[in-house]
This record gives sequence, structure tokens and C-alpha cells, in this order.
Amino acid sequence: MIPLNFDYYKPKTLYETIDLFHKLHSIGKKPMYYAGGTEIISMARLNNIQIGAVIDIKGIPECNIHELKNNKLIIGSAITLTDIANLNYYPLLSLTVKRIADHTIQGKITLGGNLAGTIIYREAVLPLLVADSHLMIASKKEIKTLPIKDIFQGRIQLEKGELILQVIIDEKFLSLPYAHIKRTKNEKIDYPLITISALKNRKNKINIGFSGICEYPFRSYEIEKALNSTFDSMDERVNNAINNLPDKLLNDLAGSSEYRKFMLKNMLYDILKKFEVAN
Amino acid sequence: MNHIPQIGVNITRKEAWNKVTGATKYNADTIKPNILYAKLLTSSHAHALIKHIDISRALKLDGVYSVITGNYLSTQIGSVVSDRYPIAYKKVRYFGEPVALVVANSESEAMKAVKLIKVDYEPLPIINTISDALKPDATLIHEKLHEYFCPVEDVYPQANTNIADHIKIRKGNVKQAWSECDVIVEGNFTLPKSDHIAMEVRNTRAEILPNGKVIINTSSQTPFSIRHTISKHYNIPEGDIIVRTPLVGGAFGGKSTVDLEILAYLASRSVGGRLVQITNTREEDIATSPSKIALEANIKIGATKDGLIKAMKATYYVDCGAYANTGPRMAKAMAVNGSGPYNIEYIHIDAFTVYTNHNYVTSFRGFGHSAFTFCIERMMDKLASKLKMDPIVLRTKNIISPGTLTPTKDRVTLSNTGDLKACIEKLRNLINWDEYKKVQYENGMIRAKGISCFWKTSTSPTNATSGVILTLNSDGSINLSFGAVEIGPGMKTTIAQILAEKMKMSVKNVHVTMYVDTQVSPNHWKTVASMTTFMVGNAVIDAADNLIHQLQHIGSIILKCPPKDLMVANQRVYLKANPEIYIDFKDIAYGYKYPNGESIGGQIIAHGNYIMKHLTPLNKETGEGKVGPSWTLGAQAVEIEYDPKLYTYRLLKAATVIDVGKVINPKTARGVIMGGMSMGLGLATREEFIYNDEAILKNTSLRTYKLIRFGENPEYLVDFVETPQIDGPFGAKGLGEHGIIGIPAAFANAISLATEMEFDKIPILPEEIWKKKTGGKP
Repeated sequence: MIPLNFDYYKPKTLYETIDLFHKLHSIGKKPMYYAGGTEIISMARLNNIQIGAVIDIKGIPECNIHELKNNKLIIGSAITLTDIANLNYYPLLSLTVKRIADHTIQGKITLGGNLAGTIIYREAVLPLLVADSHLMIASKKEIKTLPIKDIFQGRIQLEKGELILQVIIDEKFLSLPYAHIKRTKNEKIDYPLITISALKNRKNKINIGFSGICEYPFRSYEIEKALNSTFDSMDERVNNAINNLPDKLLNDLAGSSEYRKFMLKNMLYDILKKFEVAN
Repeated sequence: MNHIPQIGVNITRKEAWNKVTGATKYNADTIKPNILYAKLLTSSHAHALIKHIDISRALKLDGVYSVITGNYLSTQIGSVVSDRYPIAYKKVRYFGEPVALVVANSESEAMKAVKLIKVDYEPLPIINTISDALKPDATLIHEKLHEYFCPVEDVYPQANTNIADHIKIRKGNVKQAWSECDVIVEGNFTLPKSDHIAMEVRNTRAEILPNGKVIINTSSQTPFSIRHTISKHYNIPEGDIIVRTPLVGGAFGGKSTVDLEILAYLASRSVGGRLVQITNTREEDIATSPSKIALEANIKIGATKDGLIKAMKATYYVDCGAYANTGPRMAKAMAVNGSGPYNIEYIHIDAFTVYTNHNYVTSFRGFGHSAFTFCIERMMDKLASKLKMDPIVLRTKNIISPGTLTPTKDRVTLSNTGDLKACIEKLRNLINWDEYKKVQYENGMIRAKGISCFWKTSTSPTNATSGVILTLNSDGSINLSFGAVEIGPGMKTTIAQILAEKMKMSVKNVHVTMYVDTQVSPNHWKTVASMTTFMVGNAVIDAADNLIHQLQHIGSIILKCPPKDLMVANQRVYLKANPEIYIDFKDIAYGYKYPNGESIGGQIIAHGNYIMKHLTPLNKETGEGKVGPSWTLGAQAVEIEYDPKLYTYRLLKAATVIDVGKVINPKTARGVIMGGMSMGLGLATREEFIYNDEAILKNTSLRTYKLIRFGENPEYLVDFVETPQIDGPFGAKGLGEHGIIGIPAAFANAISLATEMEFDKIPILPEEIWKKKTGGKP
């Protein structure tokens, strides 16, 4: 049961969409972009969200592109996790999204929704962070393409009315050696205790992103530096990585911070071993 | 005449096609015009005085018809101790307790109004654990406990304490028994509260018609108790109340308490009798409606050096939460069966029901048995380990046998228990026990097996009863009506099979009424305690005898012979000596018409019933008494794979061998047992209520409250032993709950063996194993 009334719009063009958002916003309608709706529904039924209108972005052609073109993989923000896994252009992303929620929900959750969601894990961002992806953002005045690290710091940094149009990944990242590990409290399908997505780049260095460790997902250059410091022993590399976490460890129903630390350590060893064997 | 057996065969349940195609309508699926909706404001405190409630803003909202609080027709309900106001009055005692109820045009308007109600609370000290509750100077959750009305005689609330009841079992000569023991083991056990999580959340519609009839449509296991409770508390003749229940989407005991029905009745009454619907959200179903008990226990057992258990002392503390409800009855069930299926000469059990500021409780699949069985079966493994005996050998040595006495001094017979030894032997083969109990593979992974035994009886009221009505149709088929609710295990079909077998006809031609309507259906005590097959089964055989008698009577006139010369099969009455002389049911169903038009008979309507026999209440000081007609018993096992590096595990196999007397429908029985095992694994590995220091329940949604999902299940193995129960229908016994009972213990035994640590608390999560193995140091 959703206790609030809201208007529903499904514009056909990007221009209309952005324009509509600002119009609705200016008359106090509290509009929200909508694609899969999984978060809107869960928050609305608990009366935890104020919306007067939802603008469905699934009608915008740019948001539905999913192709490899000119050495770039382009994924529209309205593409579902199921589609990403099925087309499987980028195996690390496929693996990561296949472990978000359950199969039914994966058919609803969109890439843009997972990146912009309020639930803190946003695991789909990890393969994008480690592949130095770009996000194409549309606003009233422009369409801009930005490196993901500039616009995703813990969560997506969007101005009112801005919309993620597409994710762009350079083809060279798609075939790199990769690793994905997800550990949960005890379930096959759950929020992460810790999720790690990592690539081994062309300089034989590890690019690595984390979710579930802190209150936000992140890629940390300090941690990468520690892990890639091949002069150090494996123990030192792992310990240095853990000592360079950007924030305090989460401590919640999924697990204590001490347990997360134990689990993180194990996972880092597994990643290092995996990539070393791959050498 | 040839008869194709109708029991012991797989019959697809009669409602199956309607269910799998979505055609089945559950209670809340029926959309009614002109209906109002009720929503609850629930307590944000676990223990507080209600100083003031301001409903004025809510009342002013468009679409709102009424807002009621605890002072509206205030009365205390509770089938054992009447300690609970349906809407909290002056005081809240758990987080999530109803504080106010809004009736409005739509659910959304009601929800908006709920947000506008302002409540001033004055927080009280919190009782968050059983030990808090038992402290000498503990805050009293019910100051006037000694003044409360108790609808039953055998409950003993203790004035000026938080103890709602104390059951004692005293059997045998204490001094002698302990002095004969060579070894003594002791253990402390903790099991948390958790929820039923039936797929269908609780929901009810109520209306009061101008002629005074109260109509309740509800998802419940106990339509007849609802009628009785509303009648008693609101002074309405029982016959003026009609309770209807269609198919129920899972219950597991959770729908055995009169809960939303009273709220819906009050809501309807507050708007002049209009039809009002109240439906829980999942969060309310978890936090506001009643849940499963928590348990703390201390157990000591003593045995001779060759493994004969001589003595047992156990103290069970049942956390019933804020209100007793059926808590004392589960404590009683734990006490009376508290030895497990073992013959122990000296038994000393105390079972206390203790109030805390947690959600109040109701029955949960197993009715306390999975809780105490966890303790007893862990103790068996501890004892086996101390004696260096195989856990199966130790158990086999001590199992109850005909002639011995149960803890309440009831005489054990093969018929009223079964062949546990045969169950254990079958289980041993099923899980290849002798191949290995524990093994480590080259990759470091450890596989381990754990076992447990169980028994359960019904502990119903001594006068629990059940009825059946049969009517004949003009096509010669039989309509079957009874008052037990179909909550999922396929029991409507089971009873139809028993009738078909008794009538020597095809079950296809038995039409069973799927809904229950208290005005039309014969009374059935409650659809609980795994008693439907036994009670309704006996009642339907009684009804079939009545039907056969009537058929023989009319047949004797038409076929011109004494009734005793006639037999009944394949929907006809025929001459024993010459089956070619017969009359079909269809020709006598509505009376028999002679060729000349003259008629005799009239529609054939038969009835039968069953009432519990020779049950007695327990003696207050010794616990002596007869609590149930029989025990169903069996043996279970769990095999796991443990990763000693990460302290995680996988479930590989879960197995049950159970003596059910007679298997009526093998596939359905298997499914019910598997479902029980799945729930048992849920309890063992993840399900628990997590309270913070203020006793606020933290995991009120399925995001954080975890249960087993499809795909996480192990391979399930089920087998049966059939030792007929002499007074059961075709020898059959109940099996509905039993799959759950021993599984948490078997899992904990397997994990304890794999990890070489003692796990006496569930759920056992990887983090718990890590903490125990490492002391919690990363």
C-alpha cells in the first residue's frame, strides 16, 4: 500500500524530460526520476518519501542504449541489471550485478537506479570505478561527460534535475583479468557484508573497489598503492591496505566491524592470490 | 468388489489447480464495495505509560470516520491469562503494540491520519532479558498480575513477579537416581524470539449487521475461538457471530491467536457496524502481531558409565514477551515432554513463563518442542562425547519403550508412541552414518553430520472436539464438511482420502468444502497441534459409519433384506452374497422413488464427531496427568560442509525418518516434513529477533529479518515408519509440525562436531563461529 498520491509522466525525449522536471519542481510537485521503481516503492509504502510526481525515463532513447561502439561500451541508465548480465559485454559488471538483490528484482533495477539509489551499497558502481568509466549527465543547460571519480564520491553528486544518461566504459577494460567476491552475513542473496570488484590493469596493477566496508562504496588509491607495492610481502600489503581505509568500518546487523575486518583481510588475500596466479 | 486403495497413495490436493493458477481467493483477495479500512498507530516505546493521546488532528482529516484508543470498550483478553488490552490502555509493554486505530475511506487516508496522532509517553524501565525479569527488584510489567482473570484453572501467575506461570514435573526417587550416575553433564541454552513469516500476512474484515449479527471474514487457524472470544468479551450470543475463513496462505501457529479479529470488530463498531478491513503490513505482521517464544534453559543429566541415563534436572524459562497468551501452554508442553523420547527414571523439570518487554507470543510450529528438543539433543551429544560413545548408540540405548512412563507418568505403548528404534536405523542408512561422521578433504573443507530424535504430543484441552457432516449428491458423490482450516498441508484432501477409503469409493467423488463458516461447518477445536488428521480423521470415520448405517437401512427396504446382509462400495449398496443385486447412491441420495412414483427416504445426511478421551490436567505439584492421545516420534539428521578458513558453512543434507502410524498421502506428507525441516534450518542458521538496549525490535522487515530462500536449501531426505496407532484413523498419527523439531539440534550437533566447539545458542551464524574460534580478533 502506497499512502501517497503522485502523478506519472513518461516523456519521449530527453529535452521534454528535463523540462518537465523543472516545471514540476517549480510548482512544488517534488518530482523524481523513475526507471525500475524498486526503491521508490519500498520507501513509499513505509511513508518515507515525499513525491508528487514521477517521471519515467524509460521512454528516453539515450537511456536505453546498450552497445559497443567506437571502442566504447555504452550502457543507458534505464538498462536493467538482467540485461547487463545477459548481454555480458563487461564480465566484471555482469558478475557484480548478478549478486545484487534476487533474480526477479534484477529485472527491475536499472543501472542508473543502482548508482543513484539511497541504499548505501550501490555495488554496480564498483566495476565502473575500477574501469575509469565516464558518466554522461544531462541537465537543463548541457549534456556533460565526466570521469566517474569526479561525480561519484560515496554517492552520485547530482544537482536538482540532473539525470544520468549513460555510462561509458573504454573497451580496453572489458577484457582485463578480473575478480569479484561478495560475502554476506549468511545468505546467498543479501546486502553485502563486503563486496569487492577488481581488475588487473595493463601495467599489472590492481584497480579495486569496495562496498559494505564503510557507509558508502569506494575506490581508494591509497589501498591500491598498498596492494600494488610488490616490494612488500603479501601480509604487509594486506595490512597496509586495511590501515588505509577511508573511513571507519560499518558495524550493523549484517556484521560487527571486527568481523568485517577479518573478512576483508581474507578477501584481500584471495584477490592478491588470484591475480598472482593469473600472472 | 474391487477396491483401489485411497490411502497410502499420492493424491494431488484438491485445491492444487486453483492455487497454482492463481484462481484461489485468499481472505484479502476479495474486494468489497463500500468498505472502510483500519490502520494502527503502534508504540514507539517498549515500556511506557501513555500520558495523553491527541487524536484531534487525525479526526479532522478528510476521509477519516473514527479514531479509537485503549479506552474504547476496554477489556482484557487472553485465553490463559487475560492480561492484554487489544489496544494498549494507559501503558504500552512492547515496541509495536497497538496504541490507536484509525478507520477511514482508504488505507492511504488512514495512514495519513495515523501520522497525525500525538502520543505522550512516560518511559518506564525496560525488561529486555529473562534474567532482568527475574531479578528480585525487577520492574513489574503487570503490577496487578494477581488480580487478572484466568479463563483456565491450571495456570499459576505469581503475584509481584514477572512470572506468568510455573509448571512442575517430579518423577522418581531423586537421591537414589543421582547416586547411581557415573557421569553428569550440564548445559545452558539460549534460543531467540523469531517470527512465523507466513506468506499471507494476517488480515480480517468485520461488520455488524442491523439485525445484530457480527460477520468476521478472516485468515485464521481458529474461527471457532474467535467466535467464542468475541462473544465472551463483548457480550454477544455466540450464535450471533459468524466467522468465515477461506484457504489460508500459511499460518505456522501464528494465526491461532485472536488478534486482528478483535481490532476489526472494534473498528466496525466505532463506525456503526460498517464493513471494515484491516490488513497487516509485513512490518506489522512481524512487530505487532504475536511471534515465537524465546527460551533460556539449564539442563543437567546423569548417566551410568555404559550410557544409561538415570536422572535429569531441567529449568526452562520461556520468554512470552509482554503478554502471556499461549506462552504458559508452550511451557507446559516443554515440561511434559521435556525428557525427549527417552526413558529417564528421575525427572525434575521446572518450566517458567516469564514476562519481558518483547513482542508477545503465540503458538509456533512445534509448540515449544523444537526449543526444548534443541537443549535435550545437544545434551545427548555432550553426554555421548563425554562417554566416548557413538551418538546413535547412546540414543538407542535410552529410547522410551512400551511399559515405561512418560514424565507425566503416562504409560508408553507401541501404539501411542511408535518404533523409534526403526526410525533411527532407517536414518542411519539414509545418511550413511557409518561411512563417516566427520571428514576433512584435501582442500581443507570439513563435512560433518549431526543427529537428533524428537517426540511430540498435542497437549490440547481435555475436551477438544471435532465434527464432520456428510451429505449425498444426486450423482452419488459425497459432500464433506468440517471445521478445520486448510492452512497449507493438504489436510482437506487427507480427510477426503480417509472418507473415500472407509466408503470404498474414489476420492474423486468426495467433494470437500474448502472454507470454514462457523454457522455451517461443524465445530473443530482449532487447526493446531498437528491434530487434524487424528481428530477429523476419527470424526469422518464416525460419520462414514453413520452414513453406511443409513445406506444399509434404506437399502434393506429397497433390496428386501436385513441391513446386515448389505455392503457399501463404489457408491452403491449391494448384497454381500450377490453383488449383482444393488442400488446406486445416486438413486437413494435424495430418497428412493419406486417405479410407481411412491418414494421413501429423503436426502441422506450423516454426521460424526470425535472428542479427546481420558485426558486430564496436570497435578500442580507433581505434573502427573495425561496430556495427549499419542506421541509422534522420529529421528533427524543434518550434514554440513564447514570452511575452517572463513568459518562459514553450507547445508548439504537434512533428513527425517518419522513414525506416522500410517501414511495417508505420501507426497503430501513428504512435502510437509520437508517444509518443517526448512523452517528448522531457518531457526538454526539465521532467524532471530534483534532488540536494541531499549528493547526496540531492529529487524522488522524482510530486508533484515532473514529466512531460508529457495536455492539455499540442502537436499531433503524423508522416510517413514508405520506403526499403527490403534485408535487413529487407519492407524494414522499427526505429522504437521514435526519436521521442524529436531533440526536445529541436529544442525548444532553437526556444527559443534565440525568446529570442535560447543554451540548451545541459535542461530549459529558464521560470525558467531568466528568469534568462538578466534575470540573475535580480526
